[in-house]
Amino acid sequence: MSYKTLIKKLTYSNRRLHIHIGLFLVLFIWLFSFSGLLLNHGNWKFASFWDERKEKRTEITVSIPAGLDSIQLLKTILSQLKIAGEVNNVKMTTDSVDFSVAYPGHVSNIHADLKKGTGIQKELSYNVWGKLRTLHTFNGANRDNADVEPNWLLTRVWRFSMDAIAAGLIFLSVSSWIMWYKIRQNYSWGYLVLIAGFVLAGWFVYLLKL
Amino acid sequence: MKKYYPPVRTLHLYIGLFVSPFVLIFSISVLVLNHAGYLNSVMPVKRLPVIKSHLDKIPYDASDLQTAKAITQKLGINGEIDFISQNDDHISFPVTLPGERTKIEVNKHTNDVLITRDEEGVFRATNYLHKMPGPHNTTIRGNTVFMKTWRLLADMVVYLLLFLSASGIFLWYFLKAERKLGWLAIISGAIIFTGLLLFIIG
Repeated sequence: MSYKTLIKKLTYSNRRLHIHIGLFLVLFIWLFSFSGLLLNHGNWKFASFWDERKEKRTEITVSIPAGLDSIQLLKTILSQLKIAGEVNNVKMTTDSVDFSVAYPGHVSNIHADLKKGTGIQKELSYNVWGKLRTLHTFNGANRDNADVEPNWLLTRVWRFSMDAIAAGLIFLSVSSWIMWYKIRQNYSWGYLVLIAGFVLAGWFVYLLKL
Repeated sequence: MKKYYPPVRTLHLYIGLFVSPFVLIFSISVLVLNHAGYLNSVMPVKRLPVIKSHLDKIPYDASDLQTAKAITQKLGINGEIDFISQNDDHISFPVTLPGERTKIEVNKHTNDVLITRDEEGVFRATNYLHKMPGPHNTTIRGNTVFMKTWRLLADMVVYLLLFLSASGIFLWYFLKAERKLGWLAIISGAIIFTGLLLFIIG
């Protein structure tokens, strides 16, 4: 295959991939675009979520077998309470354990007295706007320790989806440059527009601190 | 409808080119946010030497933000004041530019100042921009020209991205050769999207 034919095939594939990856990602793009706007505009009345939250307080009983390590202990409590989610903020003493379990739109804060086998579960549920907001940021990242990985399977799945969408958007950007370059003679303003975008974005990323 | 194809294609192309560097900022920052531990291991934050200084005439009777701004002006430090902590003895706050975070701590009795600076690098700069202005501390966010501008740009990027996705669908619809595969991409994307949401938020 000659060099020219190869380039022709690659640019053709690039165009097709640009179209189909874009179509595949369209709902994800809308979700993250809209939830991003919600996060930056907390004053939008129609999307109020915190004032509309539902709170529930439940007395719980748990039976804790002896000799469990901390992870087994948390798993036992979660399975007895029939709840699942990303576990955070674990504070454990010899007598009690406090932790939170979250999935987008729902948080449970649990206190369990290990000696008495009793405890309290405080639940917070958000409306659809609250769910959208938390979906945008739900990656299982631990603020205090960046090395801690998500501990819930679905957090890992959602985080992988976020990575894949980001990779898809990077591809869409790069492939758009290739597509434009091929027809640059008909769209000569492209140079100016692309450079303007890069200068403006670069000003924020690199130049501000100089 | 077909008469709109040429202008929509031109707009899609030019807007896409202009927005693409910003899309790169948001996309790279997602990877940074999701893999902060890995970034810390390959590109740790560089702590610069601590600077001690002294100021006079700090207007403590003004609002927290005005006091913090007066301090940054006297020290010649530029950046967005993200939040302010204050008690009877101290006032402290971070001053951030993308990729550089300065923490200022002032003893209110002696006016002695402790300045700690972290060089966070380009990738964490994208991370900061992605999260700004964000939902927190809305009363003080946007206290610099750059953050006010970024707030507008971040919104603009989102609206333009929505236009790009809608115009992309419009342009695809007229490409008969790509129609079948396009439907497959849309439907499979929708199935995965719905499935994920159903699993995660029930």
